[in-house]
Amino acid sequence: MSRAYRITVKESETRHLKAGDEICTQLEILEILPPEDMATLLKEELKKRGFEEQDDGTMTRKDGDLTVTIDPCSGEVSVKAETEATVSQEAKREATGFNDVGPNEKSLRDRVKDQLKQDLDKKFDSEQSKLQTKATEELEKHLQELQPEISQVVNQVTRDALKQKAQQMGTVKEVSEDAESGSLTIKVEV
Amino acid sequence: MTRTAAPTPRPQEPDGPRQVSKFEFNLLRILRFLVGHFPADQGLGLVRAAATRPECLTHDAVTLVKDTLGKASVLFLTRAGGWRNDKYLRKNTPTPGRVWDRIPLDERVLEFSKPVLEFLLWLTAEKVHETKQAWDAAPKALTPSDELFFWLAFDQMRSDPDLLAVLRKKDAFRLNPFCWIASPGDVADPDSTKPTPPDLTRLCSGQRAVLMECLQSHLTIRWIRTERAKGQIGDWKKMRQQGSAEFAGLQAFLQAAEAARRTDLARFVLGTNAAVLQSDMTPVFWTGGLQGTGPPRLADRLETQRAALALPRQMEMLEGWQERARSVGYFDEDYAATQMWKLDWELANGNHVAARARAAVEMLEPLRGPAPGQPATQGAQGAGEKPEGSPG
Repeated sequence: MSRAYRITVKESETRHLKAGDEICTQLEILEILPPEDMATLLKEELKKRGFEEQDDGTMTRKDGDLTVTIDPCSGEVSVKAETEATVSQEAKREATGFNDVGPNEKSLRDRVKDQLKQDLDKKFDSEQSKLQTKATEELEKHLQELQPEISQVVNQVTRDALKQKAQQMGTVKEVSEDAESGSLTIKVEV
Repeated sequence: MTRTAAPTPRPQEPDGPRQVSKFEFNLLRILRFLVGHFPADQGLGLVRAAATRPECLTHDAVTLVKDTLGKASVLFLTRAGGWRNDKYLRKNTPTPGRVWDRIPLDERVLEFSKPVLEFLLWLTAEKVHETKQAWDAAPKALTPSDELFFWLAFDQMRSDPDLLAVLRKKDAFRLNPFCWIASPGDVADPDSTKPTPPDLTRLCSGQRAVLMECLQSHLTIRWIRTERAKGQIGDWKKMRQQGSAEFAGLQAFLQAAEAARRTDLARFVLGTNAAVLQSDMTPVFWTGGLQGTGPPRLADRLETQRAALALPRQMEMLEGWQERARSVGYFDEDYAATQMWKLDWELANGNHVAARARAAVEMLEPLRGPAPGQPATQGAQGAGEKPEGSPG
Protein backbone atom coordinates (compact mmCIF):
# COMPACT_ATOMS: atom_id res chain seq x y z
CA MET A 1 0.00 0.00 0.00
CA SER A 2 1.41 3.37 -0.98
CA ARG A 3 1.37 6.32 1.36
CA ALA A 4 1.31 9.90 0.13
CA TYR A 5 3.38 12.56 1.79
CA ARG A 6 3.72 16.30 1.22
CA ILE A 7 6.95 18.24 1.45
CA THR A 8 6.99 21.99 1.97
CA VAL A 9 10.26 23.75 1.29
CA LYS A 10 10.76 27.39 2.13
CA GLU A 11 13.85 29.43 1.38
CA SER A 12 14.80 33.03 1.90
CA GLU A 13 17.83 34.91 0.68
CA THR A 14 19.26 38.38 1.02
CA ARG A 15 21.35 39.88 -1.74
CA HIS A 16 23.04 43.20 -2.20
CA LEU A 17 22.03 44.45 -5.66
CA LYS A 18 23.80 47.16 -7.63
CA ALA A 19 22.70 48.92 -10.81
CA GLY A 20 24.35 51.65 -12.78
CA ASP A 21 24.17 53.64 -15.96
CA GLU A 22 26.60 56.04 -17.52
CA ILE A 23 26.82 58.29 -20.53
CA CYS A 24 29.93 59.85 -21.97
CA THR A 25 30.04 62.78 -24.35
CA GLN A 26 32.31 65.59 -25.42
CA LEU A 27 32.09 69.29 -24.58
CA GLU A 28 32.16 71.67 -27.52
CA ILE A 29 35.02 73.95 -26.52
CA LEU A 30 36.21 76.28 -29.27
CA GLU A 31 39.96 76.57 -29.66
CA ILE A 32 40.20 80.30 -29.05
CA LEU A 33 43.28 80.01 -26.86
CA PRO A 34 45.86 77.19 -26.72
CA PRO A 35 44.34 73.95 -25.33
CA GLU A 36 46.10 74.23 -21.95
CA ASP A 37 44.72 77.78 -21.45
CA MET A 38 41.22 76.64 -22.41
CA ALA A 39 41.56 73.75 -19.95
CA THR A 40 42.57 76.17 -17.17
CA LEU A 41 39.58 78.40 -17.87
CA LEU A 42 37.26 75.40 -17.86
CA LYS A 43 38.77 74.16 -14.61
CA GLU A 44 38.25 77.56 -12.96
CA GLU A 45 34.65 77.74 -14.11
CA LEU A 46 33.93 74.22 -12.90
CA LYS A 47 35.48 74.95 -9.50
CA LYS A 48 33.04 77.86 -9.12
CA ARG A 49 30.22 75.38 -9.69
CA GLY A 50 31.25 72.96 -6.98
CA PHE A 51 33.49 70.59 -8.94
CA GLU A 52 36.55 69.23 -7.17
CA GLU A 53 39.85 68.46 -8.80
CA GLN A 54 40.96 64.82 -8.64
CA ASP A 55 44.48 63.38 -8.67
CA ASP A 56 44.18 62.51 -12.37
CA GLY A 57 43.30 66.10 -13.25
CA THR A 58 39.59 65.47 -13.81
CA MET A 59 36.91 67.56 -12.11
CA THR A 60 34.21 65.68 -10.24
CA ARG A 61 30.97 66.62 -8.54
CA LYS A 62 28.60 64.32 -6.68
CA ASP A 63 24.90 65.07 -7.05
CA GLY A 64 23.26 62.47 -4.80
CA ASP A 65 23.62 59.08 -6.49
CA LEU A 66 25.04 60.72 -9.59
CA THR A 67 28.63 61.60 -10.33
CA VAL A 68 29.58 64.11 -12.99
CA THR A 69 33.18 63.91 -14.17
CA ILE A 70 34.73 66.34 -16.63
CA ASP A 71 38.21 66.10 -18.06
CA PRO A 72 39.23 69.74 -18.70
CA CYS A 73 42.03 68.69 -21.07
CA SER A 74 39.97 66.54 -23.44
CA GLY A 75 36.54 68.02 -22.70
CA GLU A 76 35.14 64.56 -22.04
CA VAL A 77 32.10 64.50 -19.76
CA SER A 78 30.80 61.42 -18.03
CA VAL A 79 27.65 61.27 -15.97
CA LYS A 80 27.24 58.17 -13.87
CA ALA A 81 24.25 57.00 -11.89
CA GLU A 82 24.63 54.25 -9.33
CA THR A 83 21.98 52.70 -7.15
CA GLU A 84 22.27 49.87 -4.69
CA ALA A 85 19.90 48.12 -2.37
CA THR A 86 19.84 45.14 -0.05
CA VAL A 87 16.90 43.00 -1.01
CA SER A 88 15.44 40.01 0.83
CA GLN A 89 13.25 37.54 -1.00
CA GLU A 90 11.37 34.51 0.13
CA ALA A 91 9.97 31.59 -1.85
CA LYS A 92 7.92 28.59 -0.89
CA ARG A 93 7.06 25.39 -2.76
CA GLU A 94 5.09 22.28 -1.99
CA ALA A 95 5.42 18.82 -3.55
CA THR A 96 3.63 15.51 -3.10
CA GLY A 97 5.34 12.09 -3.21
CA PHE A 98 4.56 8.45 -2.53
CA ASN A 99 6.73 6.29 -0.33
CA ASP A 100 6.66 3.17 -2.58
CA VAL A 101 6.71 4.69 -6.09
CA GLY A 102 8.34 7.74 -7.64
CA PRO A 103 11.28 9.61 -6.19
CA ASN A 104 12.25 9.11 -2.61
CA GLU A 105 12.03 11.99 -0.22
CA LYS A 106 15.61 13.19 -0.59
CA SER A 107 15.58 13.46 -4.35
CA LEU A 108 12.14 15.08 -4.26
CA ARG A 109 13.37 17.62 -1.75
CA ASP A 110 16.43 18.35 -3.90
CA ARG A 111 14.27 18.87 -6.96
CA VAL A 112 11.98 21.26 -5.12
CA LYS A 113 15.01 23.13 -3.79
CA ASP A 114 16.31 23.58 -7.34
CA GLN A 115 12.95 24.95 -8.41
CA LEU A 116 12.93 27.25 -5.41
CA LYS A 117 16.38 28.54 -6.35
CA GLN A 118 15.11 29.33 -9.83
CA ASP A 119 12.10 31.13 -8.33
CA LEU A 120 14.38 33.20 -6.13
CA ASP A 121 16.68 34.03 -9.04
CA LYS A 122 13.69 35.24 -11.04
CA LYS A 123 12.56 37.44 -8.16
CA PHE A 124 16.04 38.92 -7.77
CA ASP A 125 16.25 39.48 -11.56
CA SER A 126 13.02 41.39 -11.39
CA GLU A 127 14.35 43.49 -8.49
CA GLN A 128 17.57 44.07 -10.39
CA SER A 129 15.71 45.33 -13.44
CA LYS A 130 13.61 47.65 -11.21
CA LEU A 131 16.81 49.02 -9.71
CA GLN A 132 18.28 49.45 -13.21
CA THR A 133 15.20 51.34 -14.37
CA LYS A 134 15.49 53.59 -11.32
CA ALA A 135 19.16 54.34 -12.05
CA THR A 136 18.45 55.07 -15.73
CA GLU A 137 15.48 57.29 -14.92
CA GLU A 138 17.58 59.23 -12.42
CA LEU A 139 20.29 59.66 -15.03
CA GLU A 140 17.83 60.85 -17.67
CA LYS A 141 16.26 63.31 -15.27
CA HIS A 142 19.62 64.61 -14.16
CA LEU A 143 20.81 65.04 -17.75
CA GLN A 144 17.91 67.39 -18.42
CA GLU A 145 18.88 69.46 -15.40
CA LEU A 146 22.58 69.33 -16.22
CA GLN A 147 22.31 70.34 -19.88
CA PRO A 148 21.61 74.09 -19.29
CA GLU A 149 24.38 74.24 -16.68
CA ILE A 150 26.91 72.64 -19.03
CA SER A 151 25.88 75.06 -21.79
CA GLN A 152 26.39 77.96 -19.38
CA VAL A 153 29.83 76.64 -18.48
CA VAL A 154 30.83 76.35 -22.15
CA ASN A 155 29.51 79.85 -22.89
CA GLN A 156 31.30 81.33 -19.90
CA VAL A 157 34.58 79.67 -20.87
CA THR A 158 34.17 80.93 -24.45
CA ARG A 159 33.49 84.49 -23.21
CA ASP A 160 36.51 84.44 -20.88
CA ALA A 161 38.71 83.06 -23.64
CA LEU A 162 37.55 85.77 -26.05
CA LYS A 163 38.32 88.46 -23.50
CA GLN A 164 41.80 87.05 -22.90
CA LYS A 165 42.38 86.80 -26.64
CA ALA A 166 41.30 90.41 -27.07
CA GLN A 167 43.73 91.49 -24.34
CA GLN A 168 46.53 89.64 -26.15
CA MET A 169 45.65 91.44 -29.40
CA GLY A 170 45.77 94.98 -28.03
CA THR A 171 44.11 97.35 -25.56
CA VAL A 172 40.51 96.49 -24.74
CA LYS A 173 38.48 99.69 -25.06
CA GLU A 174 35.00 98.42 -24.45
CA VAL A 175 33.26 95.18 -23.55
CA SER A 176 29.51 94.86 -23.84
CA GLU A 177 27.53 91.74 -23.14
CA ASP A 178 23.90 91.01 -23.90
CA ALA A 179 22.74 88.23 -21.61
CA GLU A 180 19.47 87.80 -23.51
CA SER A 181 20.95 87.13 -26.94
CA GLY A 182 24.26 85.80 -25.60
CA SER A 183 26.25 88.25 -27.72
CA LEU A 184 29.58 89.66 -26.61
CA THR A 185 31.15 92.70 -28.25
CA ILE A 186 34.75 93.62 -27.52
CA LYS A 187 36.37 96.74 -28.97
CA VAL A 188 40.14 96.43 -29.17
CA GLU A 189 42.67 99.09 -30.06
CA VAL A 190 45.56 97.44 -31.82
CA MET B 1 43.32 51.12 -75.41
CA THR B 2 46.94 50.42 -74.56
CA ARG B 3 48.43 47.09 -73.66
CA THR B 4 51.83 46.57 -72.11
CA ALA B 5 52.22 42.87 -73.05
CA ALA B 6 50.68 40.57 -75.62
CA PRO B 7 48.13 38.12 -74.21
CA THR B 8 49.04 34.43 -74.25
CA PRO B 9 47.43 32.55 -77.13
CA ARG B 10 44.25 30.70 -76.11
CA PRO B 11 44.12 26.91 -76.60
CA GLN B 12 41.90 25.72 -79.40
CA GLU B 13 38.31 25.14 -78.32
CA PRO B 14 36.84 21.62 -78.84
CA ASP B 15 34.21 21.18 -81.55
CA GLY B 16 31.28 20.28 -79.28
CA PRO B 17 30.42 21.03 -75.65
CA ARG B 18 32.83 19.63 -73.07
CA GLN B 19 31.78 16.50 -71.21
CA VAL B 20 31.63 16.75 -67.40
CA SER B 21 30.30 14.48 -64.65
CA LYS B 22 27.18 15.28 -62.61
CA PHE B 23 29.36 16.48 -59.67
CA GLU B 24 31.39 18.71 -61.96
CA PHE B 25 28.21 20.03 -63.54
CA ASN B 26 26.93 21.03 -60.07
CA LEU B 27 30.29 22.55 -59.19
CA LEU B 28 30.23 24.67 -62.33
CA ARG B 29 26.67 25.77 -61.65
CA ILE B 30 27.65 26.74 -58.07
CA LEU B 31 30.61 28.68 -59.45
CA ARG B 32 28.34 30.49 -61.90
CA PHE B 33 25.98 31.29 -59.00
CA LEU B 34 28.83 32.67 -56.89
CA VAL B 35 29.91 35.04 -59.66
CA GLY B 36 26.32 36.14 -60.25
CA HIS B 37 25.60 34.30 -63.49
CA PHE B 38 23.10 31.74 -62.19
CA PRO B 39 19.76 32.20 -60.35
CA ALA B 40 20.32 32.63 -56.61
CA ASP B 41 17.50 30.31 -55.48
CA GLN B 42 18.84 27.43 -57.56
CA GLY B 43 22.41 28.19 -56.55
CA LEU B 44 21.56 28.25 -52.84
CA GLY B 45 19.71 24.95 -53.31
CA LEU B 46 22.85 23.37 -54.75
CA VAL B 47 25.00 24.75 -51.92
CA ARG B 48 22.62 23.31 -49.33
CA ALA B 49 22.69 19.88 -51.01
CA ALA B 50 25.43 17.24 -50.74
CA ALA B 51 27.03 15.20 -53.53
CA THR B 52 29.60 12.41 -53.54
CA ARG B 53 32.99 13.91 -54.13
CA PRO B 54 35.09 12.27 -56.85
CA GLU B 55 38.80 11.55 -56.50
CA CYS B 56 39.67 14.42 -58.78
CA LEU B 57 38.21 16.71 -61.41
CA THR B 58 38.61 16.09 -65.13
CA HIS B 59 40.77 18.35 -67.25
CA ASP B 60 37.69 19.69 -69.03
CA ALA B 61 36.02 20.67 -65.76
CA VAL B 62 39.15 22.44 -64.51
CA THR B 63 39.41 24.30 -67.81
CA LEU B 64 35.79 25.42 -67.50
CA VAL B 65 36.36 26.56 -63.90
CA LYS B 66 39.39 28.61 -64.98
CA ASP B 67 37.48 30.05 -67.92
CA THR B 68 34.47 31.01 -65.78
CA LEU B 69 36.61 32.52 -63.01
CA GLY B 70 38.68 34.58 -65.41
CA LYS B 71 35.85 35.89 -67.56
CA ALA B 72 33.35 36.48 -64.75
CA SER B 73 35.84 38.32 -62.52
CA VAL B 74 37.00 40.60 -65.31
CA LEU B 75 33.41 41.24 -66.37
CA PHE B 76 32.41 42.03 -62.78
CA LEU B 77 35.31 44.42 -62.22
CA THR B 78 34.70 46.16 -65.54
CA ARG B 79 31.00 46.61 -64.82
CA ALA B 80 31.64 47.62 -61.19
CA GLY B 81 33.58 50.67 -62.32
CA GLY B 82 36.75 49.60 -64.12
CA TRP B 83 35.32 50.91 -67.40
CA ARG B 84 35.05 54.45 -66.10
CA ASN B 85 37.42 57.02 -67.48
CA ASP B 86 38.54 58.28 -64.10
CA LYS B 87 41.59 59.57 -62.27
CA TYR B 88 43.37 57.63 -59.55
CA LEU B 89 46.68 58.10 -57.80
CA ARG B 90 49.61 56.17 -59.11
CA LYS B 91 52.91 56.82 -57.36
CA ASN B 92 51.20 59.80 -55.72
CA THR B 93 50.33 61.34 -59.10
CA PRO B 94 46.83 61.49 -60.58
CA THR B 95 46.66 59.14 -63.56
CA PRO B 96 43.66 59.35 -65.87
CA GLY B 97 41.99 56.67 -67.98
CA ARG B 98 40.08 53.43 -67.73
CA VAL B 99 41.63 50.73 -65.54
CA TRP B 100 43.27 49.02 -68.53
CA ASP B 101 44.75 52.36 -69.59
CA ARG B 102 46.07 53.28 -66.16
CA ILE B 103 47.45 49.96 -64.99
CA PRO B 104 49.99 47.87 -66.91
CA LEU B 105 48.81 44.37 -67.82
CA ASP B 106 51.23 42.54 -65.51
CA GLU B 107 49.80 44.43 -62.53
CA ARG B 108 46.23 43.52 -63.30
CA VAL B 109 46.58 39.82 -64.02
CA LEU B 110 44.13 37.91 -61.83
CA GLU B 111 45.69 34.80 -60.31
CA PHE B 112 43.47 32.31 -58.56
CA SER B 113 45.07 29.69 -56.34
CA LYS B 114 44.29 26.25 -54.96
CA PRO B 115 42.00 27.34 -52.06
CA VAL B 116 39.42 28.57 -54.61
CA LEU B 117 39.08 25.14 -56.21
CA GLU B 118 39.12 23.43 -52.81
CA PHE B 119 36.34 25.75 -51.68
CA LEU B 120 34.27 24.90 -54.76
CA LEU B 121 34.79 21.18 -54.16
CA TRP B 122 33.76 21.56 -50.51
CA LEU B 123 30.73 23.66 -51.43
CA THR B 124 29.55 21.06 -53.95
CA ALA B 125 30.26 17.96 -51.87
CA GLU B 126 29.01 19.15 -48.48
CA LYS B 127 25.83 20.59 -47.08
CA VAL B 128 27.46 23.82 -45.99
CA HIS B 129 25.05 24.45 -43.11
CA GLU B 130 25.53 20.89 -41.79
CA THR B 131 29.10 20.33 -42.88
CA LYS B 132 31.02 17.34 -41.60
CA GLN B 133 34.31 18.21 -43.23
CA ALA B 134 35.95 21.39 -41.97
CA TRP B 135 37.20 23.66 -44.71
CA ASP B 136 39.04 26.95 -44.42
CA ALA B 137 41.81 28.82 -46.17
CA ALA B 138 44.69 30.58 -44.45
CA PRO B 139 44.39 34.29 -45.30
CA LYS B 140 48.14 34.54 -45.98
CA ALA B 141 47.89 31.90 -48.70
CA LEU B 142 45.28 33.88 -50.64
CA THR B 143 46.04 36.09 -53.62
CA PRO B 144 44.12 39.36 -54.10
CA SER B 145 42.03 37.60 -56.77
CA ASP B 146 41.19 34.80 -54.32
CA GLU B 147 40.02 37.38 -51.81
CA LEU B 148 37.90 39.04 -54.47
CA PHE B 149 36.36 35.67 -55.34
CA PHE B 150 35.68 34.78 -51.69
CA TRP B 151 34.02 38.14 -51.18
CA LEU B 152 31.78 37.58 -54.23
CA ALA B 153 30.93 34.12 -52.89
CA PHE B 154 30.16 35.51 -49.44
CA ASP B 155 28.02 38.22 -50.96
CA GLN B 156 25.92 35.71 -52.88
CA MET B 157 25.38 33.42 -49.91
CA ARG B 158 24.91 35.93 -47.08
CA SER B 159 21.15 36.16 -47.74
CA ASP B 160 20.81 32.65 -46.26
CA PRO B 161 21.16 32.96 -42.44
CA ASP B 162 22.31 29.32 -42.02
CA LEU B 163 25.06 29.69 -44.59
CA LEU B 164 26.03 33.11 -43.25
CA ALA B 165 26.45 31.70 -39.74
CA VAL B 166 28.84 29.02 -41.06
CA LEU B 167 30.80 31.20 -43.46
CA ARG B 168 31.53 34.09 -41.12
CA LYS B 169 33.38 31.75 -38.77
CA LYS B 170 35.88 30.89 -41.49
CA ASP B 171 39.09 32.89 -41.82
CA ALA B 172 38.72 33.09 -45.61
CA PHE B 173 35.75 35.41 -45.03
CA ARG B 174 36.23 36.66 -41.45
CA LEU B 175 39.63 38.13 -42.31
CA ASN B 176 38.84 39.06 -45.90
CA PRO B 177 39.37 42.82 -46.39
CA PHE B 178 36.86 43.01 -49.25
CA CYS B 179 34.14 41.44 -47.08
CA TRP B 180 34.91 44.01 -44.38
CA ILE B 181 34.75 46.97 -46.71
CA ALA B 182 31.55 45.87 -48.47
CA SER B 183 29.42 44.27 -45.76
CA PRO B 184 31.05 44.59 -42.32
CA GLY B 185 27.74 44.06 -40.54
CA ASP B 186 27.42 40.57 -42.00
CA VAL B 187 31.00 39.42 -41.66
CA ALA B 188 31.58 40.59 -38.07
CA ASP B 189 30.89 38.25 -35.19
CA PRO B 190 27.28 38.99 -34.11
CA ASP B 191 28.08 38.33 -30.45
CA SER B 192 31.07 40.63 -30.31
CA THR B 193 30.51 44.01 -28.66
CA LYS B 194 33.69 45.44 -30.16
CA PRO B 195 34.23 44.14 -33.69
CA THR B 196 37.84 43.99 -34.82
CA PRO B 197 38.48 44.29 -38.54
CA PRO B 198 41.49 42.60 -40.11
CA ASP B 199 44.46 44.55 -41.43
CA LEU B 200 42.92 46.76 -44.14
CA THR B 201 46.20 48.41 -45.15
CA ARG B 202 46.46 45.63 -47.76
CA LEU B 203 43.59 47.27 -49.65
CA CYS B 204 45.66 50.36 -50.31
CA SER B 205 48.60 48.87 -52.16
CA GLY B 206 49.40 46.47 -54.99
CA GLN B 207 46.70 44.66 -56.88
CA ARG B 208 44.13 45.05 -54.09
CA ALA B 209 44.33 48.83 -54.58
CA VAL B 210 43.67 48.32 -58.31
CA LEU B 211 40.64 46.21 -57.41
CA MET B 212 39.48 48.92 -55.00
CA GLU B 213 39.73 51.48 -57.80
CA CYS B 214 37.44 49.31 -59.93
CA LEU B 215 35.01 48.87 -57.02
CA GLN B 216 34.47 52.53 -56.09
CA SER B 217 31.11 52.98 -57.87
CA HIS B 218 29.93 49.56 -56.81
CA LEU B 219 30.78 50.25 -53.16
CA THR B 220 29.07 53.65 -53.27
CA ILE B 221 25.83 52.08 -54.52
CA ARG B 222 26.03 49.30 -51.92
CA TRP B 223 26.63 51.69 -49.03
CA ILE B 224 23.82 54.01 -50.12
CA ARG B 225 21.49 51.01 -50.16
CA THR B 226 22.70 49.90 -46.73
CA GLU B 227 22.25 53.37 -45.25
CA ARG B 228 18.74 53.70 -46.64
CA ALA B 229 17.81 50.26 -45.31
CA LYS B 230 18.95 51.15 -41.80
CA GLY B 231 15.69 52.98 -41.18
CA GLN B 232 13.97 49.58 -41.49
CA ILE B 233 16.03 47.84 -38.79
CA GLY B 234 13.81 47.24 -35.79
CA ASP B 235 16.12 45.23 -33.58
CA TRP B 236 18.35 47.32 -31.30
CA LYS B 237 20.94 44.57 -30.94
CA LYS B 238 21.20 44.07 -34.70
CA MET B 239 21.55 47.82 -35.25
CA ARG B 240 24.30 48.09 -32.66
CA GLN B 241 26.16 45.09 -34.05
CA GLN B 242 25.92 46.29 -37.66
CA GLY B 243 26.75 49.90 -36.85
CA SER B 244 29.73 49.03 -34.65
CA ALA B 245 31.14 46.75 -37.35
CA GLU B 246 30.64 49.43 -40.00
CA PHE B 247 32.29 52.07 -37.86
CA ALA B 248 35.26 49.85 -37.04
CA GLY B 249 35.68 48.73 -40.67
CA LEU B 250 35.44 52.21 -42.17
CA GLN B 251 37.72 53.77 -39.55
CA ALA B 252 40.35 51.10 -40.13
CA PHE B 253 40.10 51.58 -43.88
CA LEU B 254 40.28 55.39 -43.77
CA GLN B 255 43.29 55.26 -41.47
CA ALA B 256 44.97 52.80 -43.83
CA ALA B 257 44.15 54.95 -46.88
CA GLU B 258 45.55 58.04 -45.17
CA ALA B 259 48.74 56.25 -44.15
CA ALA B 260 49.21 54.89 -47.69
CA ARG B 261 48.40 58.33 -49.20
CA ARG B 262 45.56 56.76 -51.16
CA THR B 263 42.75 59.13 -50.23
CA ASP B 264 41.31 58.50 -53.71
CA LEU B 265 40.33 55.00 -52.57
CA ALA B 266 37.98 56.52 -49.98
CA ARG B 267 35.87 58.24 -52.62
CA PHE B 268 33.04 55.82 -51.96
CA VAL B 269 32.80 57.02 -48.33
CA LEU B 270 32.57 60.63 -49.45
CA GLY B 271 30.22 59.72 -52.32
CA THR B 272 27.86 57.77 -50.07
CA ASN B 273 27.70 60.57 -47.52
CA ALA B 274 27.05 63.08 -50.29
CA ALA B 275 24.22 60.94 -51.67
CA VAL B 276 22.61 60.29 -48.28
CA LEU B 277 23.05 63.77 -46.81
CA GLN B 278 21.52 65.74 -49.66
CA SER B 279 19.46 67.76 -47.21
CA ASP B 280 19.50 68.37 -43.46
CA MET B 281 18.83 65.09 -41.69
CA THR B 282 17.98 64.03 -38.19
CA PRO B 283 19.16 60.72 -36.69
CA VAL B 284 15.59 59.44 -37.19
CA PHE B 285 16.54 58.68 -40.81
CA TRP B 286 18.81 55.91 -39.46
CA THR B 287 17.13 54.98 -36.18
CA GLY B 288 13.45 55.52 -37.06
CA GLY B 289 12.75 51.81 -37.45
CA LEU B 290 13.95 50.74 -34.01
CA GLN B 291 11.12 49.04 -32.18
CA GLY B 292 10.18 49.52 -28.53
CA THR B 293 12.10 51.41 -25.91
CA GLY B 294 15.28 49.41 -26.45
CA PRO B 295 17.78 48.27 -23.82
CA PRO B 296 17.08 49.35 -20.24
CA ARG B 297 20.41 51.21 -19.88
CA LEU B 298 20.64 54.67 -21.41
CA ALA B 299 24.31 53.98 -22.18
CA ASP B 300 23.32 51.03 -24.42
CA ARG B 301 20.58 52.99 -26.17
CA LEU B 302 22.95 55.86 -26.86
CA GLU B 303 25.65 53.50 -28.10
CA THR B 304 23.16 51.87 -30.50
CA GLN B 305 22.07 55.22 -31.88
CA ARG B 306 25.66 56.35 -32.28
CA ALA B 307 26.45 53.08 -34.07
CA ALA B 308 23.55 53.65 -36.48
CA LEU B 309 25.29 56.82 -37.69
CA ALA B 310 28.56 55.03 -38.43
CA LEU B 311 28.82 56.46 -41.94
CA PRO B 312 28.17 60.18 -41.24
CA ARG B 313 30.65 59.93 -38.37
CA GLN B 314 33.39 59.22 -40.93
CA MET B 315 33.02 62.73 -42.34
CA GLU B 316 35.05 64.08 -39.43
CA MET B 317 38.11 62.24 -40.70
CA LEU B 318 37.49 63.27 -44.32
CA GLU B 319 37.13 66.87 -43.15
CA GLY B 320 40.56 66.54 -41.54
CA TRP B 321 41.96 65.38 -44.89
CA GLN B 322 40.43 68.40 -46.54
CA GLU B 323 41.94 70.73 -43.94
CA ARG B 324 45.38 69.24 -44.52
CA ALA B 325 44.93 69.33 -48.30
CA ARG B 326 44.23 73.07 -48.07
CA SER B 327 47.53 73.67 -46.36
CA VAL B 328 49.63 71.88 -49.01
CA GLY B 329 51.51 74.35 -51.21
CA TYR B 330 52.38 74.26 -54.89
CA PHE B 331 55.97 73.17 -54.27
CA ASP B 332 55.02 70.47 -51.76
CA GLU B 333 55.40 66.82 -52.67
CA ASP B 334 51.71 65.99 -52.31
CA TYR B 335 50.41 68.96 -54.26
CA ALA B 336 48.95 67.03 -57.21
CA ALA B 337 47.41 64.36 -54.99
CA THR B 338 45.83 66.91 -52.63
CA GLN B 339 44.52 68.92 -55.57
CA MET B 340 42.73 65.78 -56.74
CA TRP B 341 41.26 65.24 -53.27
CA LYS B 342 40.11 68.87 -53.13
CA LEU B 343 38.40 68.43 -56.48
CA ASP B 344 36.64 65.29 -55.24
CA TRP B 345 35.60 67.19 -52.11
CA GLU B 346 34.24 70.09 -54.11
CA LEU B 347 32.35 67.83 -56.52
CA ALA B 348 30.73 66.08 -53.57
CA ASN B 349 29.88 69.46 -51.98
CA GLY B 350 32.03 68.28 -49.08
CA ASN B 351 31.67 71.32 -46.82
CA HIS B 352 27.89 71.11 -46.80
CA VAL B 353 27.90 67.34 -46.45
CA ALA B 354 30.33 67.52 -43.51
CA ALA B 355 28.19 70.20 -41.82
CA ARG B 356 25.06 68.09 -42.24
CA ALA B 357 26.82 64.98 -40.98
CA ARG B 358 28.10 66.88 -37.95
CA ALA B 359 24.66 68.28 -37.20
CA ALA B 360 23.06 64.82 -37.40
CA VAL B 361 25.72 63.27 -35.17
CA GLU B 362 25.50 66.10 -32.62
CA MET B 363 21.74 65.75 -32.33
CA LEU B 364 22.34 62.41 -30.67
CA GLU B 365 24.80 63.72 -28.14
CA PRO B 366 23.44 64.44 -24.68
CA LEU B 367 24.29 67.70 -22.90
CA ARG B 368 24.36 69.63 -26.16
CA GLY B 369 22.06 72.57 -26.58
CA PRO B 370 21.69 76.26 -25.93
CA ALA B 371 22.10 77.76 -22.49
CA PRO B 372 18.85 79.01 -20.93
CA GLY B 373 17.62 82.22 -22.53
CA GLN B 374 19.87 81.87 -25.56
CA PRO B 375 18.87 80.93 -29.09
CA ALA B 376 20.10 77.68 -30.65
CA THR B 377 22.82 78.19 -33.23
CA GLN B 378 25.02 75.26 -34.15
CA GLY B 379 23.58 72.17 -35.73
CA ALA B 380 20.03 73.23 -35.01
CA GLN B 381 17.34 73.81 -37.58
CA GLY B 382 15.87 77.18 -38.24
CA ALA B 383 12.37 77.86 -37.02
CA GLY B 384 9.76 76.39 -39.31
CA GLU B 385 12.23 74.17 -41.13
CA LYS B 386 11.60 70.48 -40.92
CA PRO B 387 14.62 68.33 -41.72
CA GLU B 388 14.22 65.24 -43.84
CA GLY B 389 13.56 62.14 -41.79
CA SER B 390 12.34 64.08 -38.78
CA PRO B 391 9.38 62.63 -36.92
CA GLY B 392 7.34 65.75 -37.53
